[in-house]
Amino acid sequence: MVQRRALDGIRVVDFSWVRAGPWATRWLGALGAEIIKIEWPESERGRLPSSTTPQDLEVNLNTSGNFNDTNVNKKSLTLNVRRPKGLALAKRLIAISDIVIENFSSRVLQNWGLGWEELRRIKPDLVYVSMSGYGHTGRNHHYTTFGPIAQAASGLTHLSGLPGKPPAGWGWSYMDDTGGMYGAMCALTGLYHRNRTGQGQHIDQSQMVSSVPLNGPALLDFTVNGRRTSRAGFPPGNRAHWPGTPLLNNYRGPIVAPHNTYRTHPSGYNDWCVIVCHSDEEWRRLVEVMGAPVWARDERYATNSGRLEHQEALDRDIEAWTGRLDKYDITACCQAAGVRAMAVQSAEDRVEHDPQLRHRGMYRELDHPMLGRRKVQNAPFKLSATPAFNHCASPLIGQHTAEIVEGLLGCSRDELREGFGDGTFWPTKRPLFDYLEDMLK
Amino acid sequence: MSAPAKSPDNLPGPLAGLRVLELADEKGQFCGKLLADHDADVIKIEPPMGCGVRRVGPFLDDVPHPDRSLTFWYYNTSKRGITLDLERAEGARLFRRLAAGADVILETWAPGRLIELGLGYDALRTDNPGLIVCSLTPFGQTGPWRDYKSSDLVHMAAGGEMASCGYDEEDVPGAPPIAPGGGNAWHMGGHYAYMAIMAALVHRTVSGEGQYIDASIHEACALTTESAIANYIYRGETLKRHTGRHHSPGPAPRTQFCAKDGRYVNALVSGRLNPGYMKELAAFLGAYGMAADLDDPKYQDPKVIEASTSHIIDQVVANFIASLPAEEVYHAAQERGFTWAAVRAAEDLAEDAHLGDRSFWKTVDHPELGRSFVYPGEAAIFSASPWRISCRAPLLGEHNVEILCGELGLSRAELALFDEQEVI
Repeated sequence: MVQRRALDGIRVVDFSWVRAGPWATRWLGALGAEIIKIEWPESERGRLPSSTTPQDLEVNLNTSGNFNDTNVNKKSLTLNVRRPKGLALAKRLIAISDIVIENFSSRVLQNWGLGWEELRRIKPDLVYVSMSGYGHTGRNHHYTTFGPIAQAASGLTHLSGLPGKPPAGWGWSYMDDTGGMYGAMCALTGLYHRNRTGQGQHIDQSQMVSSVPLNGPALLDFTVNGRRTSRAGFPPGNRAHWPGTPLLNNYRGPIVAPHNTYRTHPSGYNDWCVIVCHSDEEWRRLVEVMGAPVWARDERYATNSGRLEHQEALDRDIEAWTGRLDKYDITACCQAAGVRAMAVQSAEDRVEHDPQLRHRGMYRELDHPMLGRRKVQNAPFKLSATPAFNHCASPLIGQHTAEIVEGLLGCSRDELREGFGDGTFWPTKRPLFDYLEDMLK
Repeated sequence: MSAPAKSPDNLPGPLAGLRVLELADEKGQFCGKLLADHDADVIKIEPPMGCGVRRVGPFLDDVPHPDRSLTFWYYNTSKRGITLDLERAEGARLFRRLAAGADVILETWAPGRLIELGLGYDALRTDNPGLIVCSLTPFGQTGPWRDYKSSDLVHMAAGGEMASCGYDEEDVPGAPPIAPGGGNAWHMGGHYAYMAIMAALVHRTVSGEGQYIDASIHEACALTTESAIANYIYRGETLKRHTGRHHSPGPAPRTQFCAKDGRYVNALVSGRLNPGYMKELAAFLGAYGMAADLDDPKYQDPKVIEASTSHIIDQVVANFIASLPAEEVYHAAQERGFTWAAVRAAEDLAEDAHLGDRSFWKTVDHPELGRSFVYPGEAAIFSASPWRISCRAPLLGEHNVEILCGELGLSRAELALFDEQEVI
């Protein structure tokens, strides 16, 4: 029996590039939509440059590991939409699709002649999700972002770090991942609305603006209480509260100690764990797990306020215990006793050593013609009736051009060849990959 | 111009008419807010003593009280709220009646607990085959870590966020991995849960069929580290943490610089250094008399650029940024096409004119206080069905009468009895 999926029968025209947009359509594809990624090798961003091409492979448009993971579940159509012939074909495709997604700067589609007024003329119930840096309205709509820029401008970078030090920020484009989530969320919300009402719409999503609501409690502390996050003790590293500073909530849950990272044996780069006690009861359990040493039974640690007051000594004492143990052993013995503890996990740890992710099937293998059989990240949710899953590796560039142009748009093989010759489906001066040569036979 | 008009306030939102029951604490309240701000009728069901988040600060005027938690306020906008003790038979019975008329149940209870109470998906669907139940829990409903206890920090460790965030050794010797704050583990889980619920709802519009969703916050966090997994899978690399910029397998040029006012600017320069960019950079810095030697023709040679990367970034760009306030660098750079930004604190956003142009800030009335407050608004502008905050978070048990009497048909006397028995 063919597995049914939530978005069976939904077609998405995907103009997205780099990371945030492709991360959005990756999930729509996992949910069953047909994703047609429109690309152009001369202005490609996402396939190159690649710092994730395996050491033994040539860096080219088809060998980026990160591109592969980000673009599973899609078909690739190479099409020069900056020329009238290519644009006309794109419009024919849009006319038989449900969703258009793009993450260009705010005026790009409009300048191509594919603004919302034109899109809705082509397909009145279309769901059009634009995922630009700053949105299509507002005085800074022409500003540009990458994840770290949206994070900086929105306040997210400032949430991360040790007090009195420069911001540690986010060590990756959190807002490419999360901006992608918002793109997918908006598309699904618009699709639900369309299915209910028959009405399409333009959803103007912005990477920078989407970041701002992720600072909610800190923003309300300012708008309601007038309190600034530019203050002593903020951000409090991994603690809930930084010793010696006013006892204020730092927007990461209750004000408790212990709440920190600790060194573990054998002190390698990622040999750390975290331990958090939300109550005196949880602290007493931790004391038992540690073997009830004399220091831990000290009265000054018996209450949360005492532990907060003596947090620096407390953290040193706890680290003297964790430093002798393996991070997974600490995790297991603390959790067995109901104590919130966890190993700091690297990527290797997650893929190789995390028994929960293994049990849940987080990394399953897919075949890619150039990269071989590789693990790919799966959905973090299990839908009982319509499971989301990765059904194919990322497309080679232009891999599905014939399938789409002939199969969906009804062009002939001669028209396909002509389009390859005249620069519609491939730049005229650029050598063809072998699989494209084969496609034209 | 193809920009959408500002969403008209009188239109229904995209989820209008949808009934959601939320049995969620810090783990799922953000997902519930997303549904509610999209105009679903979200009923938050709290235990009689109130959701634990009501005891988490900061508080209005720093006065702790279950109805004054700003954290609770923020994450529970646009919802109605009732109290109900599902551990009591009467409470469970009332919940079943509510569930019979619901479209979606979002719950973050310990795995298996609702099933023990006879309130699992299989029990509830018998009266309501179109029902969608989403369990959003720390590690999911199965597996060796299913019952592990978590917190935001625990998830940031497990998910790999911490392994990617921290400091260069020269900035903070021996620094630990750093977990970014703000409760983002709950955001990551909430985003994926929202996506799964919407997918199930779309499917239901076609099939009429409901389903069960087992969503894991750990998996959501483990998915949210960009290329870290790919770097390992394709190249076997372990990434190093750097101050205020991307993880990388080896050393990488700085991107964060201190401005004249002590604030920072994120200026992505490395990776973009080519002759064309050098011309633009020299012109930009030159306008402030800070180009140093960058207009020397030698910088049109890619080899010279590469050999001078540290000089260009750590001296010329750093000195330029140090000469101006961060906000001025940000706007001047962006106006010239440079993808740079000031590192802003949350409170700085209140002054952001662009957010003002997009009517991002919402005034939310708190009638019981006779006051109104400014809240952050929506992530995206919908042209036909607005995403918006409809009202402030519910007071504890605020809608007990409206929902339990008005909708389920309990008499006031029955309600008073349940109150006395602490069922509500």
